Amino acid sequence: MSETAPKPTITLDGKCIPFEPGDTIMRAAERANLDSDIPRFCYHPGLPVAGTCRMCTVEIEKSPKLMTSCSTPATDGMIVHTQSPKVRQSRAGVMEFLLINHPLDCPVCDQAGECSLQNYNYEYGPGTSEFKEQKRIFEKAETKKLSERLTLNMNRCVHCERCVRFTESVTKTNELLMNHRGWKKELTTALEEGVFNEYQGNIADICPVGAITFNDFRFKKRVWFLKPKETICDGCSKGCSVFADEEKNIVHRYRARENKAVNGHWICDAGRVSFHRRQEPQRVVEPLLRPTGSTGLVASNWLTVLPWFAKAIAEAKKILFVLGTDTTIEEAKALQHDFPQATFRMLNGIDGINTSKDDAPVDQLLRRKDQTPNTRGLEELGFTALDGGETGYELAIYFKSGRAAARSKKLAAIEVAWGVWFSPEITDFTAVIPGLSHLEKRGSFTNCDGITQSFVPAVTPLGMASSVEKVLHALNAKSRSQSKEALHVPL
Amino acid sequence: MAKVVSRKESFWDRFYIPALLIGLSVTLKHFFRSLVLGKTKTIQYPEVKREYSQRFRGRHFISIDQNKIENCTSCYLCQTVCPAECITIVAEERDPAQNPYGVAKEKKPLSFDIDALRCCFCGMCEEACPKDAIKLSRDYELATLNRDEAMYDLNYLKREVKGRG
Repeated sequence: MSETAPKPTITLDGKCIPFEPGDTIMRAAERANLDSDIPRFCYHPGLPVAGTCRMCTVEIEKSPKLMTSCSTPATDGMIVHTQSPKVRQSRAGVMEFLLINHPLDCPVCDQAGECSLQNYNYEYGPGTSEFKEQKRIFEKAETKKLSERLTLNMNRCVHCERCVRFTESVTKTNELLMNHRGWKKELTTALEEGVFNEYQGNIADICPVGAITFNDFRFKKRVWFLKPKETICDGCSKGCSVFADEEKNIVHRYRARENKAVNGHWICDAGRVSFHRRQEPQRVVEPLLRPTGSTGLVASNWLTVLPWFAKAIAEAKKILFVLGTDTTIEEAKALQHDFPQATFRMLNGIDGINTSKDDAPVDQLLRRKDQTPNTRGLEELGFTALDGGETGYELAIYFKSGRAAARSKKLAAIEVAWGVWFSPEITDFTAVIPGLSHLEKRGSFTNCDGITQSFVPAVTPLGMASSVEKVLHALNAKSRSQSKEALHVPL
Repeated sequence: MAKVVSRKESFWDRFYIPALLIGLSVTLKHFFRSLVLGKTKTIQYPEVKREYSQRFRGRHFISIDQNKIENCTSCYLCQTVCPAECITIVAEERDPAQNPYGVAKEKKPLSFDIDALRCCFCGMCEEACPKDAIKLSRDYELATLNRDEAMYDLNYLKREVKGRG
C-alpha cells in the first residue's frame, strides 16, 4: 500500500487549508474559496502579481511585518490571520490614503454598487479623514475617451494598474501606461489613436473603481437593478462563459465569467455587445404569412400559421431542411427526429465559412473566424454543409437563431424561415415562424475545441416567439388528432 | 352568565322636547359665535387657503440652478428607495459641447416620470437625493381631471417653485 505524500497546508484564520506548491497565500485562499476575506485592488487572478496596492496585507505569525498575501508564497505550517486588529488598522490606513483624492461622485459613477473601493470602505475604511487640504483634480482629464469604447475618469483612479498590466500581458498590445509619479500619476495612452485592442471591455470590468467605463453600458443602468444570469456567448465558435445582466426581461450587458477551460477571465468586445441582437427592433417576433397572390408578408398568428405549415409539410414530396450553425444540438436532434422525410443541410455562411475546417483563430487570445456557436456540434451529429447543388425541392425550411447567415439564393418554391430572423432578411420567404434566441432557450453548443456547454434561459421570449419543442408538439398534435383545437394547448 | 340590562326609559326620556332644546342651544351658541363674534372654525376654501406646516409634503418638483438646468444627475437613488415604485428615470450623457459643468453634471435625465397616483408622499426620494434635486412642495391641490395629468414628466417637474412651496 503506497501512501501519497500529504499536501502542505497553511492555517488561514484558524482553518487548515491545503495548497499546491508554488501558490501564494491569496491563491491558496482562492482554492479554498476563502479569498473573500482578503480585500485587494491590484491583484487579479488573470493578471501578473504587482503587489502595489498594499490592501491585501495579512499578518503571518513569526513575521515581524505584515505581508502582501498576493505575492507571498505559502509555506507549510504558515499561520495567517486576515482579520487581526493589526491588519484591519493597516487596511484603514490604506483606505484613508486612497480616499484623499477620490471624488465623492458615487451618485453619478456607474461603478457604484459593484465598486471595490465602496465595498472595502464600508468594511475597513476609517470613516473619517485627517486630510483638510484641496483634493487633487485632473482638470483636463475629467472624462477622456480612451477609445470609441472606453471612457476614462482619472480622478476616480486608485492607481492599481490592472489596466496597464492587462494590455501588457493579456492582449500584449501595450497601449496604456502611467505617466508621472506620485500625486501627478496619470493613466495615458502610448499612441494618439488610444486603446485599439479587441478586448477593451475587460479593462472596464477589471477596473476596481469607476475610472474606466465601457461606453456601451455607460449611464444605461444602475448595477443594483441588474440580475446576473449565467449563460454563454453565441458570438463565435469559442462559446465564452458570460454573465448576462438582465432587468425586466431586457439584457443590459455581458460580463466575462471565469471558465478556465474556454475563456479564462476574458471575453472579446464583439461578443460583449452581441446580446443586442436578441432585442433589436428589427427582429421578427410574430408569425408572418404571405397570403396567396399577395406580394408582401402580413402579420399573422399561431392558429393560422401552424395549420398552414402542417399542410405544407404534408403536401410537399421533397423537403429541404437547412439548419443554421447556431442551432442547439437538442433542437437539431428534435427536428431530425420529427422530419424523417426531409433532407438536412447546415448553413454557416458568415465570411465564406462553411464547415469547421474553415474556422481559425483571429488572434492569440479568444476570437475565432467562425461567427456562429455550433458548427462543430452539428458536424458531429452528421450534418453536411449546404453546397448549392440542392434542386427539385418543393419546400425549404430554414432554421437559425440569429447568428448564421440568411440563405443566398432561392432553393424551393415554398420557403419558410424559422427561428430568429431580422426584417431585411425575410422579404422572399412565404412564412416566418418566430423562434427563440440562445438567451431565451436551453440547449448545448459544441465549441471550436470540442467542448460541449449547456445553458439555460437567461430571459423569457420576446413577443410571440416560441420554442422548437412547442411548435413540434403542436404540429404533432395536429397530425395525431386532426383537430384545430389541439393547436391551442402548447402555445 | 349574561346580565340582563333594563332598557326601560323614563317619562322624561320619552318626552323628547328637553333633549331637543339642549341640542338647539348648542347650535344657537355656535351660530351666535360665528355670525356675531366672527369666531369660525371653517375657511372659505377656494378663496382662502389653509396654511400647512413648513414640512408638509405635497406635489413634487425638481430644483433648478441659475441656468434653469435641473440639478438631477439621474443617480436613480430616488427610484431605488421609492417604496411605491412610482419614479421612472432614463439617463443619458449630457452633450459634452454644451456642458459647462464638467463631470459634475455629465449625466442627465432623458426622462423623469413620477406617477402621482401611486405616490404615497413619504418623502424618501427627497431624503435619498444627493443633489437636493427632487423635492416635495407644499402644494396640496393635486386633483386632476384625468389620469394623464397625474403623470408628472421632467418638463413639469422642472417648474419654478418659490421657497419650498
